[in-house]
Amino acid sequence: MIEKIFTLWPEITLFVFTCVVMILGLSRSLSVRRLCAPLSAAALAIAGVLALTTTPDAKGALPHLPLFVKVLTCAVGLVLLLQLAGTADRGYETRVARGEAFDPLRSTRAEFYAFFLFSLTGLMLCGNASDLIWLFLALELTSLPTYVMVAISADRNSAKEAAVKYFFLGALGAATFLYGFALIYGGTGTTDLQGIHAALSQQMATGGINSIAMAGLVLSVIGIAFKIAAVPMHFYTPDVYQGSSSGVASMLAFVPKTAGFVALILVLATVGWVSTSPATHGQLPEPLHSLLWIMAALTMTVGNVLAVMQNSIKRMLGYSSVAHSGYMLVALLAGPGPEGASLTRNGLSAVLFYLIVYAVANLGCFAVLGCLEKTSSDGKSEEIDHIDDIRGLISTRPLLAWVMAVCSLSLLGLPPLLGFMGKLPIFSTGLAAGEIVLVVILGLNSAIAAYYYIRIAKNAILEQSPVRPAGEEIRDAAVPARQFAGIIAGLGTVVLAIIPISSLAIDGGTFRHSRSGVTNSPAQTLPAPVGSAEPATADAPTGPVADATVPPTIAR
Amino acid sequence: MNLLSIAPTLAQGPMPTEMGGATLFHYLLVSAIMFGLGLIGFVTRRNLIIMFLCTELMFQAAGIALIAFSRFHLNHTGETFVIFVLTVAAAEAALALALVVLLFRRKETLDASSWQDLKG
Amino acid sequence: MINASALFGSLLANVEVSSYLPILLLLTIAIGFAVTNLLASQLLGPKRKGNVKQSTYESGMNPVGTARKRFNVRFYLIAMVFLVFDIEIIFLYPWAVTFPSLDHEVSNSGIWLGRIVFFILTTVVAYVYGYRKGVFKFD
Repeated sequence: MIEKIFTLWPEITLFVFTCVVMILGLSRSLSVRRLCAPLSAAALAIAGVLALTTTPDAKGALPHLPLFVKVLTCAVGLVLLLQLAGTADRGYETRVARGEAFDPLRSTRAEFYAFFLFSLTGLMLCGNASDLIWLFLALELTSLPTYVMVAISADRNSAKEAAVKYFFLGALGAATFLYGFALIYGGTGTTDLQGIHAALSQQMATGGINSIAMAGLVLSVIGIAFKIAAVPMHFYTPDVYQGSSSGVASMLAFVPKTAGFVALILVLATVGWVSTSPATHGQLPEPLHSLLWIMAALTMTVGNVLAVMQNSIKRMLGYSSVAHSGYMLVALLAGPGPEGASLTRNGLSAVLFYLIVYAVANLGCFAVLGCLEKTSSDGKSEEIDHIDDIRGLISTRPLLAWVMAVCSLSLLGLPPLLGFMGKLPIFSTGLAAGEIVLVVILGLNSAIAAYYYIRIAKNAILEQSPVRPAGEEIRDAAVPARQFAGIIAGLGTVVLAIIPISSLAIDGGTFRHSRSGVTNSPAQTLPAPVGSAEPATADAPTGPVADATVPPTIAR
Repeated sequence: MNLLSIAPTLAQGPMPTEMGGATLFHYLLVSAIMFGLGLIGFVTRRNLIIMFLCTELMFQAAGIALIAFSRFHLNHTGETFVIFVLTVAAAEAALALALVVLLFRRKETLDASSWQDLKG
Repeated sequence: MINASALFGSLLANVEVSSYLPILLLLTIAIGFAVTNLLASQLLGPKRKGNVKQSTYESGMNPVGTARKRFNVRFYLIAMVFLVFDIEIIFLYPWAVTFPSLDHEVSNSGIWLGRIVFFILTTVVAYVYGYRKGVFKFD
C-alpha cells in the first residue's frame, strides 16, 4: 500500500498546485490573480512529464492504462485550459477594473481553475484505480467539480438550470453505481479489482456468477452510463451543453466521458470477456452482454436522431456526444479480442483511441463557438449557438470556418480525417466479435449523422454570409487563446490522421488483455505507441504552453 | 446460485442475538427498499430539496448494504467504504445546498418544473 | 432472478414472531403512556379560556414579527464550512485507533504520521481558502 503512494506523483503535483491556485486566485492584486491560468498550465505540464517518467505498469489485464490516461489527461487538459481562458470572472473583472472594490466572495476565478485541476486529478486517479473504493472516489472527484464549473461558467439563468439538472442526475448516477459497487463487494467479499476478478473467475468455473455480484455489475454499468452520457442516463446532455459556456461544454465531453469509459473497462475487466479458445473473440457473460448491446444500439440511435432535429449547435453536439458514446460502447462490447490483437481487433484499444479522436474534434467545434459572440435579446453578449450564426463564416473568418468544418467532418468520420481513423477500428472489432447487427446499426447511424455534421460544415464554408441587421453582428470574443485552441484541434484532426502509423500502432502490446494476469516483460512495457500517437495532439501545435509536456519520442 | 439460495446460510459471521435473528437477507431487503423508495421519490417528486434527499436515501441504502456485507464477510473493507461514502455524501450535500440556494435566490421557488429555459 | 412471492415467503419463514415481542411490548407501553397522559389531562385539568391563555407564551412575552423569517445567507456558508471540518473527524478516528497498535520500532509509523499530517494540512488549506473568501466575517 505504501508503494502505491509513490505511483501518484502526477496527481500529488496537481493537487498541490490546485491548492496554490485556489488561494492565489482570491488575491486582491489583479496580477496575482492572473497567475491562475499559467500556474494551472505549469501544473499540467509538470504532471505530464512526471506521468511519463514515473508511471509504473498496472497489475492485471491492462498494464498501460494508467500511463495512457495520465498522459492523455495532461495533454488534452492543456488545450482545454486554452479554451477555458476568459470563462471565469470576465464580467466581474471588468467591473473591478472600473473601480468596484474586489470582493473575494463574488469572484469565481479561483474556484474555476482549482476545480478544473481537481477534475483532471480525478480522471488521472481513475486510470490508476485498483480498488472499487478508489474508483468510486476518483469518479466522484471527477464529477463534483464539474457541477460547480457548469454553474459558474456563465452568468445567466440557463447555466444555473443546467448545473442543477447535471448535479441531480449525477447524484442519481453516483448512487446507482455505488449500490452496484456495494453488491459487487457483497458477491465477492473484496473490493480489490484483481481479487474480484479472481473470485468471479472461480464462480464462473463453478456454476455461474453469484446473482448478487451480477446485479452489482449491471447496476454499476447503468450508473456509470451517466458519466459517458449513454442511454438510460443521457437526458441531461443537451441541456447541460447548451447551458454552460462552450469551454466547459467541451471539457464535459472529454473529462467525465473518459473517466466513465475507463471505469467501465476496469469494472467489466473484472468479469472479463470470456472466450472458448485463445484465438477467438471473447464475449461478456450474458446479462451484461445484452445490456451493453441494447445500450449501445439505443444510445447511437437516440443521439443521432435527436441531433438531426436541432438548430442549436451546442445541443447538436450534445446529442452527438451521446451518439459517440454509443459507437464506443460497440467496441467495448467487442472486448479485447484474442491475445495480442492489433488495434483493428482489440476493442479496448479502439475505445481508448476513439476517446482521443472524439476529444480533439469536439474541442475544435466548441472552440470555434467560444471564439465568436453576439448580443443576446437581453443586451448581454453571449457565445453564438444557433446554426445560422455560423452561416458564411468563411467570408469573415476563414480560419475558424475551416476549423469548424474539418472538426465536424472528423466527427462524422470522413476518410482522410482523424475521425475515420478512429471509426475504422470500431467497425472492424465489432465485425471480428461477430456483432453483425450492431455494426449494421452503427453504419446506419453514421449515415444519419452525416446529415447534421455536413449541415454544420456546409453552413460554415459553403454558404454566403447573410446580411445581419445592426446589433446582431457576430463579433470576435476578446480571448485569443480560444482561437489558438481551435487551431490546435483543427490541426490535430488533420496531422494525426496523416500519421496513421501512430494510431494503428496502439496495438495489443499496449492494452493486452491477459488471462494469466500480469504481463510485465520489459519488451512489452515500451509505451512508444501511446506516446507517439497521443502527445502529438498537444505537443506539436500547443507551442509555448505545452512545450514541456511531452517529447515526441519517449525514452524510457 | 441466487439470492434466496444463499439467504438462509447467511449467518456466516455470528450475528448478535439481540438483533432477533436478522440475517444478511433482512439488511439487504431494507437497503433495497430504501434504494427503491429513493429512486421512486426522485422520479416522482418535483421539489428540489426532496429530490436531493431521495438521492441521499439511495446513498445510505448502499451504506447499509456495505455494512451488512462487511459483517457477513467478516472483513473491514465494507466499513471503510462506508466512511468514504459518508464523506462524498457530505460533499454532495454542501454542493446541493449551494445550488439550491442559488436557484431559490433567482426564482423564489424550489419547484423543479419552473426551470425550463433549456429544452428541445 | 428473484421472484416476489418467493421473496416474501422466505422473509416470513425467517421471521421468528416471538423475537419481535419485546418491540411490540415497548410500542404498546409507549403509546399507552402517551394516550393515558392526554386523557388524564383532558379529564382532570381545569378548562378556562381567555386572551392571555391563548397567547403563544403564557408567561407574558409577546412574540415579535413572524416566525417565517429569512435567514442570512451567511448561515448557509457556515453550515457548509462546518461540513468540511465535521467530516474530517471521521477519518481521524480509525487512524487514531490503529496508530497505537503499530510497532513503532520497526514499522513505518513515520509514514503513517506523515499521512495524517498531510490530511490535516488539506483542512488548513480549506481554512485559508474560507478565510480569504470572507466566510468567517459575520457582519
